[in-house]
Amino acid sequence: MIAIGMEGSANKVAIGIMSYPEDGSAPQILANVRHTYNSPPGEGFLPKDVARHHRTWVVKMVKDAMKEARIRVKDVSCICFTQGPGMGAPLQSVVMAARMMSLLWGKPLVGVNHCVGHIEMGRLITGAENPVVLYVSGGNTQVIAYSSKRYRIFGETLDIAVGNCLDRFARTLYIPNDPFPGYNIEQLAKKGRRLVELPYIVKGMDCSFSGILAAVDTLAVSLGLNGEEQARLDDERIDQEQQGEQDPDAKPTRADLCFSLQETVYAMLVEITERAMAHVGSKQVLIVGGVGSNERLQEMMGIMARDRGGSVFATDERYCIDNGVMIAQAGMMAFKTGFTTPLKESTCTQRFRTDEVFVDWRD
Amino acid sequence: MATEYKPPALPSPFSNTKPPPILLTQGAEAHLYKTVSINPAIPAALKIRPSKPYRHPILDRKLTRQRIIQEARCMIKLVREGVKVPAVLAMDWEGQGGDEGGWGGAWLMMEWIEGPVVRVVLEKWEAWFKANRGTMDEAQITAAEAPVRALLRRIGAAIAALHKAGVVHGDLTTSNLMLRTSEWDQEDRAIEGEVVIIDFGLASQSVQDEDRAVDLYVLERAMGSTHPLSEPFFEELLVGYREGNKGAISTIRRLEDVRLRGRKRSMLG
Amino acid sequence: MTPQLETINIPHLPNAPVHVALYRNVENSASLRQQLLAGNADFEYALIDASMVLSRQHAIAAIFRAVNDYSNNRLKSHNVHSEIVISFSPATNITESFRKFGITDSTKDLLVVKVSVSSEITHDSVAAHLESSVVATSVPFDDQSLSEISDITKIKKAYKLGALPSPGTKIDRAQTKAPTDDDVKRRLELSILGAIALRGS
Repeated sequence: MIAIGMEGSANKVAIGIMSYPEDGSAPQILANVRHTYNSPPGEGFLPKDVARHHRTWVVKMVKDAMKEARIRVKDVSCICFTQGPGMGAPLQSVVMAARMMSLLWGKPLVGVNHCVGHIEMGRLITGAENPVVLYVSGGNTQVIAYSSKRYRIFGETLDIAVGNCLDRFARTLYIPNDPFPGYNIEQLAKKGRRLVELPYIVKGMDCSFSGILAAVDTLAVSLGLNGEEQARLDDERIDQEQQGEQDPDAKPTRADLCFSLQETVYAMLVEITERAMAHVGSKQVLIVGGVGSNERLQEMMGIMARDRGGSVFATDERYCIDNGVMIAQAGMMAFKTGFTTPLKESTCTQRFRTDEVFVDWRD
Repeated sequence: MATEYKPPALPSPFSNTKPPPILLTQGAEAHLYKTVSINPAIPAALKIRPSKPYRHPILDRKLTRQRIIQEARCMIKLVREGVKVPAVLAMDWEGQGGDEGGWGGAWLMMEWIEGPVVRVVLEKWEAWFKANRGTMDEAQITAAEAPVRALLRRIGAAIAALHKAGVVHGDLTTSNLMLRTSEWDQEDRAIEGEVVIIDFGLASQSVQDEDRAVDLYVLERAMGSTHPLSEPFFEELLVGYREGNKGAISTIRRLEDVRLRGRKRSMLG
Repeated sequence: MTPQLETINIPHLPNAPVHVALYRNVENSASLRQQLLAGNADFEYALIDASMVLSRQHAIAAIFRAVNDYSNNRLKSHNVHSEIVISFSPATNITESFRKFGITDSTKDLLVVKVSVSSEITHDSVAAHLESSVVATSVPFDDQSLSEISDITKIKKAYKLGALPSPGTKIDRAQTKAPTDDDVKRRLELSILGAIALRGS
């Protein structure tokens, strides 16, 4: 069986094609293509622009993916698409394409919860069987564990997502959005040493990032580090410091702010994950979502898991950043249990909680 | 990959303690040991918050220190107000020991409470009740339920006293409620003893109805998932709570809002 | 008369035995205090106004805190003995701590503490020195003796625990829920222990 997965809930439009051999052997990834809409430095993306981007690209991407996978329409078993959560207009653009393909080809639709897509792909790639899942991206921050047919949310952000916090701070500092802001923050943070004090907000298994963003933004402004011109000057200072010794008491650089922001928010994420692990008695952690590609987060999570006698599972950019194969994978698991989404129910929804999905494919 | 778990080294001075403290539980941020108090004849509970090597050392020290002090302050305030909680006997928020004499973690030595946790008491009662109710008539069922109802009232009164003293617990479950009694044994299903609230690791000082209502809501949810047969008596807990606290009316009104909000409740499940 | 000097091995602090003596009717407080102020090493003791001590547990808690801080190189004062005096205090101000809990010229009831921080300091050496230095009646260091000495009102004031009930006051026994005298004293004692633990937090 072959599943096409179509994803467009944020600024990436992505198509994945997965093959599931009849003999039950491991699924094969036949194609995994993606195109990202990036706004210029200092700016975020607007839903209408992203939607236009997705509409422009989606047909070409499906064609490319099918070519790469060397499959024809008759090989396709089902068309899986992201139903939510995400930004309304971009979601709609891709759903529209999925519906059109379904009608054109006479193939069933399978609506997929984006978060469940991440979890199922993470489990497939890493082989983690029943981990506590930390799902961290630009739109979501959740600590999840499976229990009786649902992915239950044990903790989550009380306001903005951690990725959103990082993206918005990148704009303040005029850090480029290409390939993605979090990656550039991470590279800059590697040059930082001075830890500045930021709020640290954890409540049980929940956390909050809006206060931290406000604090670090204010600090950047008061240090005169915001904006394009300052970014250039500060980069020169950072490079100089890399050559010689850093004075621990000197005024913080943008690198120090990125370093401090990462140290603070990732410590919070590891803390709530550890609390969930203690709560459910699990020793495995799986990190999914775009922020999950951050090496420092993976390193910190690894130390925590090691100290609990457990281990951490993470995937690289191909799978943790939004992609189409994850939608194909989660969709196929549901499809195999007999699940399809009738055309008239193939609407998308900006709000679609992870625990709303009935996970019939797990025990 | 997975490694053999070994608890971190004990901080000073407990690395010297003879016999060594016995590890009871490992939570997410603390290890709980049993040891002796500053009087060798009297036992004590020792809570250690080990250093977290995953976080930046400056941040780690700050958080560990802040939290153990907040926990101790809440407990000490409650002891002063006469609320039944373990007393703080000694503490150290600076942290010593660990690798190469570096930062090892903060500790809190507390009064040892003898007796079972309410979770175990209710589990035993529920198992017994389930096995026997088929043979009981209505009057016998009422009689069998009476001690559980009474316990829930006592728990309500204990939480009322806690809230009246200006502290919210932050993590009320039946594992964080104990019955102080020296006579309890494993076979027993007696429901006697003074209710003692334990583990103030997530506690804070607050007099807000919202925080108080969330305390009650968390306990209600925890009872629902762990003690399905006792949950119907939660109303008794609120009766005990109302009797013990004049401000209870507005808290209980807020509890209804919190229940409706049920933030984490799935729309389908 | 040989003083009733008790040597205590506090659990968790096996390397620092503590020698404690309790005196009543002290006649030479002024000269003892003078020796202390002059920094005479022979008189390096923790000299505590015993009326400020509620119980044995109260005293040991303060000693424990001081010796633990000493063994972790965290002293706020000159030595472990002055540290014991300030460890009785809930506040961080050293002068004020000495004024409230330390010996004064008119102290009649005195608690003396010496920690074996070196091998020369033994039970016998301390006993011999105290015998020749303190003019007073030696009594056992126990709750019985202390209950006759402690000034509950002053203690409660020093620890800002004025709102707590005092042991020994008349309670309406008709009220079945009224706490016993032991309960009242224990609550006061545990509240004091908390204050000692939190000092400087």
